Amino acid sequence: MKLELRGITKSFGSLVANKDISLVVEPGQIHCLLGENGAGKSTLMNVLYGLLTPDSGQILIDDKPITIRDPKDAVAHGIGMVHQHFMLIPVFNVLENIILGSEDVRPWPFIDREAARTRIEQIANEYNFQIDPDAIIENLPIGTQQRVEILKALSHNAKILILDEPTAVLTPQETDALIEILKTLKEQGTSIIFITHKLREVLAIADVITVIRLGEVVGSTTPDEVNEEELASMMVGREVDLVVDKTPATPGDVVLSVSDLYVEDDRGLTAVKGVSFDVRRGEILAIAGVQGNGQTELVEALTGMRPVVSGKVSLNGDNLAGRSVRHILDAGVAHVPEDRQVHGLIPGMSIADNLVLDQIHSPKFGGIFGRKIKAIRENAEVRRKEFDIRSPGIDTAVGELSGGNQQKVVMARELSRELKVLICAQPTRGLDVGSIEFMHKQIVANRDAGAAVIIVSSELDEVIALGDRVAVLYDGRVQDIVPPTTSREEFGLLMAGARSTEATGVTP
Amino acid sequence: MSNVTTTPEIVTIDNLRTITRTRSLGYGISLIVLGAIEVLWFGSTPSSIHTQIQLAYNSATSVPELSSWLRVLVLVLGVLVLPLAFGPSVFSPLPRLPRAARIVAAIVGVLFVAWPISLWLGINQDGQIRDFLVSVSVTGYLFGAISAVVGAIVVWRRFDRLASPLLYAGIVLFILAFLIWVARITPIDNLPLPLTGILWGAIQWSPFLALGALAGTMSERSGVVNIAIEGQFIAGALVSTLVASAMNGTGISLWLALLLAGSIGMVFSWVLALMANRYRANQIIVGILLVSFATAVSQFISDAVLDVHQNLNQTLTLPTWNVPVLSRIPVVGPVLFAQNIIVYITIGMAVFTNVLLFRTRWGLRTRSVGEKPIASETVGINVFRMRYAATILGGFLAGLGGAALTLGKDTQFAFGMSNNFGYVALAIMIFGRWRPYGALVASLLFGFTASLGAQVSIWSGQTHIPGAFIDALPYAVTILVVSGLVGRIRPPAADGLPFVRR
Repeated sequence: MKLELRGITKSFGSLVANKDISLVVEPGQIHCLLGENGAGKSTLMNVLYGLLTPDSGQILIDDKPITIRDPKDAVAHGIGMVHQHFMLIPVFNVLENIILGSEDVRPWPFIDREAARTRIEQIANEYNFQIDPDAIIENLPIGTQQRVEILKALSHNAKILILDEPTAVLTPQETDALIEILKTLKEQGTSIIFITHKLREVLAIADVITVIRLGEVVGSTTPDEVNEEELASMMVGREVDLVVDKTPATPGDVVLSVSDLYVEDDRGLTAVKGVSFDVRRGEILAIAGVQGNGQTELVEALTGMRPVVSGKVSLNGDNLAGRSVRHILDAGVAHVPEDRQVHGLIPGMSIADNLVLDQIHSPKFGGIFGRKIKAIRENAEVRRKEFDIRSPGIDTAVGELSGGNQQKVVMARELSRELKVLICAQPTRGLDVGSIEFMHKQIVANRDAGAAVIIVSSELDEVIALGDRVAVLYDGRVQDIVPPTTSREEFGLLMAGARSTEATGVTP
Repeated sequence: MSNVTTTPEIVTIDNLRTITRTRSLGYGISLIVLGAIEVLWFGSTPSSIHTQIQLAYNSATSVPELSSWLRVLVLVLGVLVLPLAFGPSVFSPLPRLPRAARIVAAIVGVLFVAWPISLWLGINQDGQIRDFLVSVSVTGYLFGAISAVVGAIVVWRRFDRLASPLLYAGIVLFILAFLIWVARITPIDNLPLPLTGILWGAIQWSPFLALGALAGTMSERSGVVNIAIEGQFIAGALVSTLVASAMNGTGISLWLALLLAGSIGMVFSWVLALMANRYRANQIIVGILLVSFATAVSQFISDAVLDVHQNLNQTLTLPTWNVPVLSRIPVVGPVLFAQNIIVYITIGMAVFTNVLLFRTRWGLRTRSVGEKPIASETVGINVFRMRYAATILGGFLAGLGGAALTLGKDTQFAFGMSNNFGYVALAIMIFGRWRPYGALVASLLFGFTASLGAQVSIWSGQTHIPGAFIDALPYAVTILVVSGLVGRIRPPAADGLPFVRR
C-alpha cells in the first residue's frame, strides 16, 4: 500500500506544529521520521491516525484521496499505530486488548473468545511472535507489551504501521528484537513509519529518512548518503558536538554512601531491594536501567520524598535516611527531579519565585512578613544570565517556557546552594539537542568543582557519555557497577537482568 | 551471551509474596486477638447464665417429620450422595461430575444427613422448631478457642488464599458470640435471640443496598463516579409509592411503580452523565447537588401532597414468594426462600450486570472506557456513548433500589427514610471490589448490621447497649471499608476523570 501526505498543515493557536508537510511512503518501505522533541512528528502521525484534524492538506492511499475523521477510519484504511505510550488497558489480558473495538460476538452479545484466540494464535505464528493470550498486560515486560500493540495493529489488517518513538522504553536487546520484527513485517509487504530522534537506529533500519525541524520537512535522504553527524545537524539546524567534553575523573573521598537500601513503591511493593553504592568527590556515578526498575523510588528515597523502609544513606557520616526533604537539601544535596513539571517547578509561578523555592525559609529571601522581593529579583537576574534562561523576563510564568529553559531554571535553583551531592534524574528527558549539551556541560563542571554526582538515565547513550562509573539497576537491585567503556551488548544484558561477572569481565 | 540467563518478568514472585505474607500474618493475629477477647469477655460470664435461641421463624418452619425407618433411609441416601460432591479427589473410583451436579450433590447430601439427625435430636416441638438454651461462657470459650487456633494456624502456615475468608468467618463468629452475650437471661429479663429472624432481616435489608451498589458498579466501571445514589433512592422510593398508591396497589400497578422508579433513577443519571461528559463538571459536586435536589423536592411533596392526600402514601408491598420445598428448610429456608419478590429481582440484576460487564462486547468496551479511555478511542470506541449508557443503566438500578426501600420492605414513604444509605451503597461497591457478585455479598454484611440495629431497637430499654450505638454500626463499618482496612482494592483507573478528546 502506498501512502502519500500532501501539504499537511496543523496549528494549535499561534503555534504551527506542522507546516505544509509532504511525504511518500512506498509499499514495503521503512520510512524514518527524524526530528527533535517538539518538531511536530507526533502531531503529524496523530493527524494521519485521525486523532487530530489537519487545518489543510490531503492524505492519499494508492493515489486516491481519503478522509480520516477518527481512528476508526484510519484502521479501516489499513493504518495501524503503535503509540509512544502504549494504548493498552493494563488490567485486561492480551486477548482482550487485541480484540477491543473489533470483537466478534456469537451468539450476540457475547464475546466469542475461542474464535479470537484462534485468530490471534494464527497471526502470532505467521509473524513468529510468542505471546500468551491470557497474560495480563501490566505483568508483561515493556518489550512484550509493545509486541502486543503490534499484534493488535496486525489483527486489524494494518498495511501501514506507524511506530511513535518505539525504542524509548526498550533495552538494547529488546530494540534489536523489535528491529528484527520490523524487517520481517517489511518482507511481508507492510509499510512502516518509524518515528524517532535516535540517530543510530535510523541508520540501522531506514530505507528512507525524512527529517523534520520546527514543523517543516528539511530534507529527505537514505542511510547510504549520510552519517550521524550530518543527520544531527539536519535535525538541529546547526553543527552539533555529539561527544561530551570530559576529562578523566579524579575521585576523592567518599561523600555519599548508600548501604542495603530498601524502598517501597506507591502500591506497597518493594521497589528498591538492598541497593548499596558509594559516590566520591569529583566523580559521576551513572545509574542505568530500563524505566521502572526502581530508579524513581531510589532517587525519591535519597532526597527524602519517599520513606526508607530500611538501610542507610550517609552523607559524610551523617545519616540522611528518613530525614525530611528540607534537612537533606540543607545538608548539601541538590536534586533535579525526574518530572520537572510535577516535582521540579510550580508552573504557574514566575521564574524569580521558582528560583528561590528551596530557600524561601532562609532569612536571605523570606521573612516574617513575606518574601524579600528585591533580593529575589536580584537573584533571578543573576541566575538568568548565568544559566542563559531564555525568557521575556524574570516574571514570566515558568509553565510558559520551553522544556529546555524549564530544566535550566531547576538546575539554576539546585546549584545555588552549597553543594556536596548533585542528584539528577533523567536530566535531559524531552530536551532539544542544544539544551542537552548545556545540561551535560553543567553536570561535568560540577563534578570538576568537587561535587559527587549521581545521574539517573534510561538513555544508554547519556549514561555512557557522562558516567565515570555505571551502576545498572534491574528489578530494584544493582546488577553490577561497571566502567562506561563496557560494550553496549553487555550493558543490554545487565539491563535485562543478567547477573554474571563473566558477561562483563569486571568485578565491581 | 549463551552463559547468561535473563529473567524477563517485571512483577516477580518476590513482590507478590511480600503482599500476601503480610496479609496472612496480620489476619492471623487479628483472629487470635478476636479469640482472646471472646474468651476473656464472654467466657468470664458465670457458667449458670444461658441464652435462649429461637430458630423458628414462623409456623411453617418446623422440620417435616419422618418415621423411624424413613429417617435411616434418608440418612443412608445422604451419606451415599455426599461423596459425589467431592469426586475422585476424595475416593478415586468416583466419577468426576460437572460443577453444577457437584453443587446439587453437596446440597442434597448435607440436607439428607442433617434432616434425620436433627429429628433424632428432637428439633421439633409443638409444630415449630423449639427454642434451645446455650451457655454464654461455654460459647465464649468455644468460639474463642476456635478463632485463636485457626488464627495461630494461619500465622504459622501462612495460608495466603484462605486468610481473608477465615478472618470474615471469625468476625461473624465474634458477632454471634456477642449477640448471645447481649441476649443472656438475667434474673430481670429474658430476651430470646431470634437468630432466624435476624438473618431474615439481613436479607430483607439487603436489596436496596445491593441495587445501589450495582448502580455504582455500573457507572464507575465506565469511569463516572455516581455519588447521587442517595438521591436516586429518595426519588425512586417517592415515585414508587406515589404510583402504586394512586392505583391502590391493584393489578400491575406495583410493577409499573417499579418501572417508573427505575426511570426516575435514569433521569438523575442522565443529568449526571451529561454534566460529567459534556461539561466535564466535578462529578462529586454534581452528585451531591442531585442528592440535595432530591431531598428538597421529596420534602416538598411529602409536606404539600402526601400529608394532605394520605391515600397517595399507602403502605403497599410487593408479593412474597415462598419457594416450594426449599422454603421449608429450617433456618436457611425462610431466610433465603421466603422473601419479598424484590430479593429475587435483585439477585437477577446482579447476575445480569455481571454477565453484561464481563461476558459481553458492551461490557468489555465499558470497562475499557473506565480504565483508559484514550486507548478505547484509538480503537474506535465512542467513549462518551459508553459512559452515558453505563451510567444511565446504573441509574435504573438505583431507582429500583429506591422502590425496594418502600415496596420491598412493606413501608410507606417517609421523608429521610433512605437515611444516607445511598452512601453506604458506595462503600458496598468498594467492598465488593467493583464486581456485581461482590456487591451482592457485601450488601449482606451491611444488611446484617442494619437488621441487628432493628432487633436491638425491639429490645430497647431491656439491654445494656444503647440502640443508637448499634444504629451507628453500618456507618462505622462503612468508614472501615472505605479507609481500605479490608485489603488492597483497586478502583477503575479512570474513575471520575472526565475524558477530553485531543
